Amino acid sequence: MKIIACYSNKGGVGKSAAAVNLAHAAASAGVNTLLCDLDPQGASGFYYRVKPSKKLQDDRFFTDVKKFTNAIKASDYPNLDILPANMSYRDFDVFLSRMKNSRSRLKKALKSVDADYDLIILDCPPNLSTLSENVFRAADAILVPVVPTTLSERTFEQITEFFRDEGLSDKKLVPFFSMVQRQKTLHGETMARMRETYGKRFLDAFIPFTTDIERMGAHRAPVATYAARKTGGRAYDAFWQELSSRLKLT
Amino acid sequence: MLTLANSYEALWPGFEARKGAELARHDTVDFMILADSPQTLFAEQVAKLQPQLEEDVKTGFALLDNFDGDLRQSGRALLWMGDGLLLLDDRAASLFQALPGNQRFVADLPDGPVKNALADLPDLRCLLELTSGSLSRRNGALVDDEGKTRTRFTLLELHGTDGNVMLVQTEKLRGYEKAHGQLQAYLLAAADGGSGATAHIYHALVPDHLPYIAKPKTVFAPDEKAVVAATHVISAYLAVAQRNEEGIIADLDTEFLHDYRVALRKIRSVLSLFRGVYSDSQTVALKRSFSELMAPTGRLRDIDVYLMERDDYYRLLPESLHGGLEEMFGRFQKSRKSELRKLTRRFEGQAYARQMTSLQALFSDTSRLHMGPAAERPVHEYARELIWKRYRKVCKMGRAIDDNTPDELVHELRINCKKLRYLMEFFAPLFSRKEVKARINDLKGLQDNLGLFNDYSVQQVALQEVLDRAKMSDRGKKLDMAKSVGALIAILHQRQLDERARVTRSFAEFDSAAVQDSFRNQFQKVTA
Ligand SMILES: Nc1ncnc2c1ncn2[C@@H]1O[C@H](COP(=O)(O)OP(=O)(O)O)[C@@H](O)[C@H]1O
Ligand SMILES: [Mg+2]
Repeated sequence: MKIIACYSNKGGVGKSAAAVNLAHAAASAGVNTLLCDLDPQGASGFYYRVKPSKKLQDDRFFTDVKKFTNAIKASDYPNLDILPANMSYRDFDVFLSRMKNSRSRLKKALKSVDADYDLIILDCPPNLSTLSENVFRAADAILVPVVPTTLSERTFEQITEFFRDEGLSDKKLVPFFSMVQRQKTLHGETMARMRETYGKRFLDAFIPFTTDIERMGAHRAPVATYAARKTGGRAYDAFWQELSSRLKLT
Repeated sequence: MLTLANSYEALWPGFEARKGAELARHDTVDFMILADSPQTLFAEQVAKLQPQLEEDVKTGFALLDNFDGDLRQSGRALLWMGDGLLLLDDRAASLFQALPGNQRFVADLPDGPVKNALADLPDLRCLLELTSGSLSRRNGALVDDEGKTRTRFTLLELHGTDGNVMLVQTEKLRGYEKAHGQLQAYLLAAADGGSGATAHIYHALVPDHLPYIAKPKTVFAPDEKAVVAATHVISAYLAVAQRNEEGIIADLDTEFLHDYRVALRKIRSVLSLFRGVYSDSQTVALKRSFSELMAPTGRLRDIDVYLMERDDYYRLLPESLHGGLEEMFGRFQKSRKSELRKLTRRFEGQAYARQMTSLQALFSDTSRLHMGPAAERPVHEYARELIWKRYRKVCKMGRAIDDNTPDELVHELRINCKKLRYLMEFFAPLFSRKEVKARINDLKGLQDNLGLFNDYSVQQVALQEVLDRAKMSDRGKKLDMAKSVGALIAILHQRQLDERARVTRSFAEFDSAAVQDSFRNQFQKVTA
């Protein structure tokens, strides 16, 4: 089982968009996937039409393994389940460490309900302080959307610094360019410069700024379900292909 | 007085369709039989959820089971529907598996959930179409106010040649168990107590299907005349033999011929074991008649058995000797074809039909049979005596056997054990079924041991015969085959010795004080 976190300490950069579409792409490729919505805003859940669970706000909720498994909901797509928002980070730590431990009761419980996941995708909220370090430690890869502007360049520098300071391996960081506007020279220049600085770490695939993706809010469905052949759909497909081969997911 | 239990109700107690209410208690069961048309059923909201129906897809379907009806008897129904197999179960969630080909044996199915769930079926039995027809399949869902699917269902309308059935299979989605429960409750109410028992599917689609029972349970009263009981058992097994003819001719699986032969063999043993019920001269004539019926099937059965051993033989020999096996099995395949052709011609011929019909008439009641001295004896007393005597004989023979006793006596012990078992099976309804089952089980270990001992010795002789009989111009091939057969015989001989070495112990285990007591209590004459 692999864990991928979509993370940036900036809001509105395409974390949720990436998490939602990646989860759908993985599930379509036959990878048993669980998408965890860690952001109280609940964007991922919104796109999949899953209502945030009220039960999840209950403090005693995660005292028992069964409660974890009960919180998971089937999406409308094969091989894809959703853990809706409103989970406390402490609970989430427990969840992740149990998922990592292949002999844990949680793993067994999920297996018994036929939900043995190959891939867990975390849609993270945009802050570092409250988000437990354990999430970073548990993750096999941390996808960081970078909008190619000078400001975002600084943000990414900050993240790598944070990783080094906390003694975390920055090898896990997998940045990619998000909301790219080809016609803007600034975007082009920033991308070239950052690819130079960070070398092969950046994914070749990038996500362009396009209405296909913007319209996700209206469709409340992953891009591939309504614009598979268009710019947006093709971009996430290429993104998934590169990521799955880099992380050996399929 | 005598009833041949061949109705479903008698065979499968609890066959009476279980009501839906009970069904709801097992939350794994996920299908229901519908009375209403799907269109009216989902015309309005269900539990504040909006029904959505997709376009229907039309394909063919077939209801599958093996000849023994194992699926029906175990509360399951297997539907082939164009692109895959759907397995419905009275006690478990439905399973679906895509099926690219039209495999007839469970072992040949591609790996998948349905194949796994069918693992308990006998390997040698193929799946047969009980009926077929057209199927209209329509997927649906119940959707909430956000447009999220809360539960899914599939409507299946099956139009078979002998009947129709409409069923809905519901799907529980993780985290939305409540909606699934609501859908089930709605369907239960709408279907007016319609049940999810697979029995309904068989009832609707194959109303006239006559189940096949390889071991018919004849029931008779304790004071019934012995001759009536014997006649009834024979007539039941004659019917079993006849039920298998078609399957043999169509070459569906090898069990048809096997069952055919077992049925005839049982008749023969009734004739020799129920001593004195028919006159001596008639007994002799009948025995001959049934031996004649069996004889033309022997060769084909032998070949079937060799072919079943095929994998085992290849495993036993090193690859360098596989060439000879190839040659041998090639020959078996060829002679199997010609043997089957011969047997088919015989089954389809007039002489055979005449012989079977006259036997059937002869055993339809006792009026045309010649009574022997034991004919009028009450069957219970008669049976008890036969079993007790046979048991005593087995004990006497077994106790005389040690590791150095000649093989012939071991073979005789085997034959007597088999006779004892047949007697207990024939007369089981006269005694406590549970007790008889336990006695047969007491005997099992010994019988298995003796059976293997015999199989290994028969195989050695048969292989030698194969070699002697092979007319080959190619001397190289002949040599290859001789080498392989020689090696096999050596291995089988060793196996036979191993089994032989176990006989004394298996018998001692059977001859325990506890087993002795049980046989005595059940079958020894009570002297007042
Ligand atoms: N590549 C893109 N092109 C156009 N709009 C996008 C793109 N990616 C995201 N958006 C839109 O931008 C907004 C913020 O994106 P989101 O993925 O929710 O960011 P985050 O999760 O990082 O806060 C959303 O309304 C989304 O529809
Ligand atoms: Mg977000």
